[in-house]
Amino acid sequence: MKKRILSMLLAGIMVVSMAGCESGNGGNAEPTGTGVPDPAEPVTQDTFEGDGSEIEGGNAAELTDGKFAETRKITVEVYDRENDGGSDPTNNMYTDYIKKGMLEDHNVEVEFVSVPRWTEVEEINHLLAANTAPDICLTYDYPTIQTYADMGGVLDLQNLVVDNKNDLPHLWDWLGTTNMYWDKSVKDGTLWAIEGKRANNNRIVTFVRKDWLDTLGLKEPTTTEEFHEMLVAFKDNAKTLLGDDASKMIPFSCSVDVGWRAALLIESKLDPAITDKEFYVNGFDDRKLTQNGTKDALKILNGWYNEGLMWNDFALHKGDTVEDDNMKAGFVGAFMHNWDYPFRNGEDSINANLKRIVGDNAKFVAVDCFEDANGNYTKYCDSTAGDRKIFFPATNDEPLASLLYLDWISDPTHIEYLQIGEEGVNHNTLADGAFTFMPATGEAIMNSGQNIDYTITCNGLHLSTPELTEKSQNNNYPPCDPEDVAKANAVANNGKKPTKNAKITAIEAENGMGESLSSKRDALYDSVLVCKPEEFDATWDQFMDEYLSAGGQAIMTERQAAWEALYGDSVTLE
Amino acid sequence: MADLEEQALQAEEKPKKPEKPKKEFVPKSSAGIYLKRYWQLYVLLLIPLVYLFIFKYSPMYYVLIAFKKYSIVQSVSEMPWAKNHGFEYFIKAFQNKDFRYALRNTVFLNLLDILAGFPIPIIFALLLNELRLKFFKKTVQTIAYMPHFLSWVIIYGLALQLFTPTDGLINMLIQKLGGEPIHFLDNANNWVGTYIGLGIWQSFGWNSIIYLAAISGISPELYEAASVDGAGRFQKMWHVTLPCIRPTIVVLLILALGNILGSNFDRPFALQNNLVLKNAEVISTFVYKNGIKGLQFSLTTAVGLFQSIVNVIFLCIANWFSRKMGERGIV
Repeated sequence: MKKRILSMLLAGIMVVSMAGCESGNGGNAEPTGTGVPDPAEPVTQDTFEGDGSEIEGGNAAELTDGKFAETRKITVEVYDRENDGGSDPTNNMYTDYIKKGMLEDHNVEVEFVSVPRWTEVEEINHLLAANTAPDICLTYDYPTIQTYADMGGVLDLQNLVVDNKNDLPHLWDWLGTTNMYWDKSVKDGTLWAIEGKRANNNRIVTFVRKDWLDTLGLKEPTTTEEFHEMLVAFKDNAKTLLGDDASKMIPFSCSVDVGWRAALLIESKLDPAITDKEFYVNGFDDRKLTQNGTKDALKILNGWYNEGLMWNDFALHKGDTVEDDNMKAGFVGAFMHNWDYPFRNGEDSINANLKRIVGDNAKFVAVDCFEDANGNYTKYCDSTAGDRKIFFPATNDEPLASLLYLDWISDPTHIEYLQIGEEGVNHNTLADGAFTFMPATGEAIMNSGQNIDYTITCNGLHLSTPELTEKSQNNNYPPCDPEDVAKANAVANNGKKPTKNAKITAIEAENGMGESLSSKRDALYDSVLVCKPEEFDATWDQFMDEYLSAGGQAIMTERQAAWEALYGDSVTLE
Repeated sequence: MADLEEQALQAEEKPKKPEKPKKEFVPKSSAGIYLKRYWQLYVLLLIPLVYLFIFKYSPMYYVLIAFKKYSIVQSVSEMPWAKNHGFEYFIKAFQNKDFRYALRNTVFLNLLDILAGFPIPIIFALLLNELRLKFFKKTVQTIAYMPHFLSWVIIYGLALQLFTPTDGLINMLIQKLGGEPIHFLDNANNWVGTYIGLGIWQSFGWNSIIYLAAISGISPELYEAASVDGAGRFQKMWHVTLPCIRPTIVVLLILALGNILGSNFDRPFALQNNLVLKNAEVISTFVYKNGIKGLQFSLTTAVGLFQSIVNVIFLCIANWFSRKMGERGIV
């Protein structure tokens, strides 16, 4: 009896609560929860187009001297790097500067929304899916934008940037048509994202321990063979170089991201005469997995691994700092990484740590030693585009104010202030006008080098003149030696080969494949690196088969077809 | 004969008829009384019900995403149906090699978990029950529980300290003794062992609680009677303790079997690395990588739905089987 009453009661409650929820849903359309305007409305393309024409028509009336009559409010994404001792990325000296400037110049109130740097793609996915993404979003990952654009979740910027061109002088000056239109679709003219510009497109450089070379009486290596001999010498002389820690010797260090951390070796094995077409068709994977010659490079690396010249534990350390700690503690002989890697992070940089822990002479210096078939040191690098891509989600109902923000942040004087900070706090000016930088503390600390997280349209030092920039660049990594920085810069620039824009934006087979294919690629690189030399070919073939059948082949086929549709028989881009 | 039976039936029915209104009457009045007397309790009951509804039942509506072409800007009802009568993504999933691997690994790892991991808490509880020194018993129990409260990320950190080929404590020991380092975590086959072992280590203490509780409910008279009959300790364990906790064991086994396709996310995700993916990729990590990171929401919802359905089927089969064997089921 009791049971029956209870069950009736439960059923009743269920019905009542269901009704309650439904009416709640009716008012809200989607369970988003935050203060975003009713997502059902501005999200659809049609409504947006209506908005756009309104802006076009009312543009002049809306802005007087570049200012809105009524205060507008926008939100802007900023990376949170969670640095030790860093400041709040959404509220510090630099955000105050931006907020104040935007309010004074355009009557726009800016609020920053922090997104963790190392999980940015996932995080921005969550925000977009929940309709709570900031008005100005950025990501390094174009396929993410394309995927959302296909779902109708991104604003088309094409008309916006053209119609408002007169109000956006700095943005057009700085980015130029190259970067503004980099992602413009040849097919339908849509423009889902604007490419931020690299003031500096240096990519990867090889670093070796200068003091070890000196101790062993070796010259800096200039060929792959010499590099190998140097690694062997490091290993054989571990006792001399490391004493009691000899067992911790790692002649050549590499992480799970082999495609990045052995990039120069891989690139040196590519056919120097590769056509633009072939490079593009194989270009989906930015670690050059399917390019010709990559297999040869991995075979060499596999040999080094089996000779005991590389770090055994690399596959187990996912996203921790153990590898960097090994470098800082002085156990690592050589590595490849971003051209300024050992100088980054001031007092906590690798070279500064080496000096403190190992001794005054201990440091990594840049060398150029992976020659290609022609004996050149070719280094594939990005063009000025290929940095962060800026896009407006469909929930952005202040596209003009957002564009004005991009314009403001591209103003050279604003870039310069954000990059060099305050005189006497972040930098000092030398007699010749160049700046020397110093690690700031407290409020003035920069969470990212040169505040690149705020200068979203600009990556790399960009001062009023190129000469000033170059002179100051080398002083930019205190307490590291400016000469070491200059050398790394010179090496990075030697043989640079920027990527060309094939102007083909949407390849359907690429949709949603980025993540699963890049993890397959990493699995392939890691597995062929550690397998026994006699199993190398079989392992390579097995993983490559999987990569191709999981979508890699479909992408290449579609890329080839898209190329031929656009360029016919031509195999080169202008 | 037939007439007689009919008469008997009628005779049986007859007395029922006058009772019927009575029967209905009684609950009605008592329902009112119950509601009136205990209405506070029923109001309290609302809270968990609302919780269940909001977090368990209403999300079920979104299962529809598995049959639709997902779009971020449309509500579920607006999304267009997927091809092949809505089954496009199920077909895609089964054509996907990675999914088939993930399916195989999930079943394989879970079966191993049950085979190796299920008896251990029972044995542990039995042994613990035989301890007579209370202080020692409590200490052992507490220490055995502790790993349960560590997150898998921390356990992976501990595993790195122990098992990495060059710096791991165990491998350093092996090397000092003249052996070759064992790749516990970065060899696909060894990894399975490490995964299962760490799982057992983390959970056996905690899982034994329920058995200890069942054991403490056994009437001491049974043990006394067994003593009188001359049973030794081992015989008491075998003939008294084990049969008494058999229903508990069966229920837990059903639950474990019902989860054969289920997988928690943090354990495989924290422990896996690129070199062992062929054995370590399970459905939950597959869904995470392809759905949340790769934005293929429809595909992964289909996978999730498939996983749930298979789990329910397994649960029902195990339940039916245990009833056949004369045990109480759970449904």
